[in-house]
Amino acid sequence: MNLIICIDDAGGMMFNRRRQSQDRVLRARLLEITKGAKLWVTPYTARQFEDGAPLCVSDRPWADAAAGDYYFAEDGEIPTECAEKVYLYRWNRLYPSDRKFTVDLSALGFVQKNSEDFAGYSHECITEEIYMKE
Amino acid sequence: MFDFKKLFEKRTLTRALAALLLALILCISACDGQGTGMESTAADTTAPAEQITVADTTQEETEPSSEQTTQEEAESDSETETETEQSSEEQTTEPEATIDLSNIPAYSGSEYVTLNDGMPYFSASELVTESYETYGELDALGRCTAVIACCGKDLMPTTDRGSISSVKPTGWVQAQYSIVNGGNLYNRCHLIGWQLTGEDANERNLITGTRYFNEAMIPFENMIADYIKETNNHVMYRVTPVFEGDNLVASGAVMEAWSVEDEGIAFCIYMYNVQPGIVIDYATGESYLEADGGPTTPGEETTQPDDGLLHLVLNTSSKRVHKPDCSGVAQMSEKNKQEFTGTQEELDALLAQGYKLCGTCH
Repeated sequence: MNLIICIDDAGGMMFNRRRQSQDRVLRARLLEITKGAKLWVTPYTARQFEDGAPLCVSDRPWADAAAGDYYFAEDGEIPTECAEKVYLYRWNRLYPSDRKFTVDLSALGFVQKNSEDFAGYSHECITEEIYMKE
Repeated sequence: MFDFKKLFEKRTLTRALAALLLALILCISACDGQGTGMESTAADTTAPAEQITVADTTQEETEPSSEQTTQEEAESDSETETETEQSSEEQTTEPEATIDLSNIPAYSGSEYVTLNDGMPYFSASELVTESYETYGELDALGRCTAVIACCGKDLMPTTDRGSISSVKPTGWVQAQYSIVNGGNLYNRCHLIGWQLTGEDANERNLITGTRYFNEAMIPFENMIADYIKETNNHVMYRVTPVFEGDNLVASGAVMEAWSVEDEGIAFCIYMYNVQPGIVIDYATGESYLEADGGPTTPGEETTQPDDGLLHLVLNTSSKRVHKPDCSGVAQMSEKNKQEFTGTQEELDALLAQGYKLCGTCH
């Protein structure tokens, strides 16, 4: 499973049961990256995509995603140790947070393979970092 | 000429007053176990709403002109809203939201605490999709009161930020400490952040807040601003400074937000106006280092003239920022000496360029 996560400068993901932020350019990028594969999401995450987006919606997407599938984690469990690849997106902004992603990826054997900045719709600069297990 | 802005402010003030009355009703019903309020889950509405109480004041509401009344009626969006506005206009006293500080835990290391399970206290009638901003009148002591806005893209600034140094909020007794980021204890803190409504030197929107308090507010404003930019939706946003008794410095502020078109944004928090390591006399704004155990001698920690600006001396060679009475200034070569008079923001810009505060005098 390929894990997708968005975080702010403090590693935050959500605040008060809601995502910190979203961006349509990022969503389009995710759909492009996952084209030809399954993109698993929870019902909450599905609502940020347009109707008809090619999503696999599940109450337990982290359990349903198979090898080679993608799982965009927001409000669901995050089985990082089971991931083959991690796509980490940084908003490069600071928001309030009460749910964070603070896993030390290198401690789990992940190595950063790529880092790329791109302009979002409502974010000046979003950074995409890709981590893979050696 | 007809003052549409004034009318708009008046109309929205009326809405806000009506909402505060509804908040009282909400408090009562919540206490009775009749939770209503936000359109959310049942858990979201069973709230400790008694944390906010509503009290009457003796301030009389200015009667709108007949022209304004006609315009207000014409602009009413719904029957319910019209009824609410009419009802509030019959009031002879102006309700004012007050926060019972006894229900707020003492600061214990976190910049804020969540109130009401994170759900704001807006009434249904306040949740509109037409942008507006209302800044409450200063009270008898010259202190800011609640500000409320329906934030939309159309309220966001389109020009560069202007100076706010002309405003001297209550309790503005500036002091500098080396343990404070940037040196200055106080900032002129926007209640509604500049990035949301572009307000510069609006005395109704600026309070004396610590650097720590000011920095802690920014992530919440970022979240609202980016949400609006992305969705073009509206966010109801209210910031209520909380003053204990006749104190001139706010103890903190209640920050409430709710995205009107969906549930993308929701929070209700109390932000502490504190500065770790510094003891503040909230009655006056004076302060001292906690480690010193007592107030500073005037001129020892506080060297700023009472004009709201920073008066410092720069060493353009060593890139150090000195207080005027620092021994380093006397030893400084004249060609490297440059006087600095400016705002905290301007000092921050210098620090960002590589200047550092002198370790001796700061």
